[in-house]
Amino acid sequence: MSDTSLIDELPGELLMWVLIISELLVFGAGMIAFMGVRLTDPVGFAEAQSHLHRTGAAFNTAVLVTSGYLAAQALHWRQAARRGAARLALIGAALLGVVFLIIKGTEYADKAAQGIGFETHPFFLFYYLLTGFHAAHVLAGVGILLLVSWRDDPRNIEAGAQFWHMVDLVWIMLFPVIYLLG
Amino acid sequence: MGFSSSIPKHSRRRLPSPITCAWLTLLALSVASAMLTMMPIPSRLLGGGILILALAKSRIILAQYLDLATSPPWLRGFTMVLTGFAVVIFCLFLI
Repeated sequence: MSDTSLIDELPGELLMWVLIISELLVFGAGMIAFMGVRLTDPVGFAEAQSHLHRTGAAFNTAVLVTSGYLAAQALHWRQAARRGAARLALIGAALLGVVFLIIKGTEYADKAAQGIGFETHPFFLFYYLLTGFHAAHVLAGVGILLLVSWRDDPRNIEAGAQFWHMVDLVWIMLFPVIYLLG
Repeated sequence: MGFSSSIPKHSRRRLPSPITCAWLTLLALSVASAMLTMMPIPSRLLGGGILILALAKSRIILAQYLDLATSPPWLRGFTMVLTGFAVVIFCLFLI
C-alpha cells in the first residue's frame, strides 16, 4: 500500500488532521513537562492538587463527551439530509461547550477568591496554562460549531466536529493528569 | 417478497447506533474513573487504573467520534502513540 493511499484513508480534511496531531503534541508536551516538574516537589503538587474541584471537573468530562456526541450525530444527520436535526445538534453541542466554560470560570473564580494565582506554586502555573489553553480551544470550538450550524455544508460540519472531538480528546487526557494523579 | 417481512418482530428492534454506544460507554467509563478515585486502593494502582480508563476513552473518541474505525492503520497508530504517552506519564508518576 502506498503512502498516498494511507493518507487518503483519513476521514475528512488532511489539514484538520495536521491540526489535531499538532494540538495533541503541544498538550502532550505540556502534560509531560507538568509531570516532570512534579518530581521536584511531589508533596507540594499533591497539596496544591487538593485545592482543585474534582467533582466539577468530572462533571465537565460528561458535559464534553455529551457535546461531542451531539457534534458526531450532527454530521450523521446532515449526511442523512436531516438538516434541521443537524443544526439543532450543533447548537446543543455549542451550548454544552458554554456550560463547560461556565463551570471552568466558576472554578477559576473560586481559586481567585482563595488567593491562588500563577505564582502560588508551580502546580498552579501549569494548571492555569494547560486548562486555560484548553478553555481557549473550547471557546474557539463553540464559535466554530455555531458557524458550521449556519454554513451547514457536510464538509464544514465534519471539519467543525473534528475540531470539537480534538478538544474533547485533549480534556480526556488532561483531566486525569491535572486533577487525579496526585 | 421483502426480506424484512421474514424477520420476527422482536428481532427488528433498532439497536443504538455506534455513536450512541460510544457516548454511553464514555459516560460509563467516566463514572468508573470517579468511582475508582473513591476506592481505598494504593496510589500506584489508582494512577494506573485512571490512565487505562483515560486511554480507553481516548480510543473510543478516535474510533467512533473521529471515525478512525474506518481506517484501522491510523487507529492503531494513534492508539500506540497515546499508549506510549500514558506509559511516560505513569512512569513519571511512579518515580
